[in-house]
Amino acid sequence: MAAVNHWNTAQHLLLVILGFFVAFAPRYLPIKIFTQRKIPEWFNEWMKFIPVSLFTALVVKDVFVSPTYQFDVVHHIPEIIASVIVGLIAYFTRSMALSVVVGLVSVFLLAVVL
Amino acid sequence: MTKQVPNPNEPKWRSTLNVAMPLNLSYIPIGLACGVLLHAAGFNTILTGLVSIFIFSGGAQFMIASMLTINAPLLSIVLMLFFLELRYALLGSSLSKYLVGTSERFKLIFAVSMNDENYAVNYLKFATDKKWTPREALMVEHYSLLFWTISNIIGSLVGSALKIDLTVVHFALTALFLYMIIMQVKNRLTIFIGLIAAVLAVFFLVLTKSTLGLVISTLISSFIGFALEHYLRNKKPGSHFLYKVRSPASKEAAVEEESDEN
Repeated sequence: MAAVNHWNTAQHLLLVILGFFVAFAPRYLPIKIFTQRKIPEWFNEWMKFIPVSLFTALVVKDVFVSPTYQFDVVHHIPEIIASVIVGLIAYFTRSMALSVVVGLVSVFLLAVVL
Repeated sequence: MTKQVPNPNEPKWRSTLNVAMPLNLSYIPIGLACGVLLHAAGFNTILTGLVSIFIFSGGAQFMIASMLTINAPLLSIVLMLFFLELRYALLGSSLSKYLVGTSERFKLIFAVSMNDENYAVNYLKFATDKKWTPREALMVEHYSLLFWTISNIIGSLVGSALKIDLTVVHFALTALFLYMIIMQVKNRLTIFIGLIAAVLAVFFLVLTKSTLGLVISTLISSFIGFALEHYLRNKKPGSHFLYKVRSPASKEAAVEEESDEN
């Protein structure tokens, strides 16, 4: 396959460098700020709900939202069924490895069958 | 694998490798796919390695590949990256209380290699294992970085000779996050917040047409969780919402703070 993009290596490198800075700033600044100051208790109580909210949002994006950001159930039937299977596996086994492997196998098989 | 009793004589590099292994393995197919796509977008192998080390984000790298193939201008790619990576601010904020007391240099190195997936692994360890240290968390980050980068480089080298169904391999990460959600569930309130987060995520993703929707929905739903818990704890301590949810295989619950059986 011929490269469709006409950028040269220097342009790619520039993209990587700029990309590093925009990825690094949001990663670093909150860690730097919130480890130095005395953090109020309510902030920690709020942050406690970040993981469940963020992971749910990430899953929902993968399972219910199309790459063009439209709500889409019809084309995601294998993923939806596989998600239920993964949820049950995770709940009953508490094994991360098993959840991922079973999830991959089931989405693969469901995509073939459906 | 994650449930085994820790052996005090086991070297740190091995115990942390065990913790990171499920993530490392799920990075292999996704990293390969990402390397293939970056190669198709014109990235050479060295740059693919660099982007994997310095940006270290599956979502960002897939986006770079797809925007390059449609010849998007540099500025718009960087701006999109910025909005995409803004959610890392949430990860750092919620981990910060576990990183108090580490050196400035450590925080810098820790921040460079933090992403959604190794954050998920480390947050769970910090929350359930009182002995989990920032240094071990950094090792998990570096293991996942190593597997990710090597998979990307191999993907770049084999190029388009490898046919990978992207939607299928990407589900490895979806499954990882699903597992993490299940592990986060402590009481009925968490389930309720999960449902709110799901609805808000769809709404804001469709509304903003970008991953900024992830940031907005996460901020709002976590705040609702905080406010609701605060209200229930003070006004209705016997609320059904605060009932604990127990898992049939829960061994970690014994380690956690909850000694009171309802």
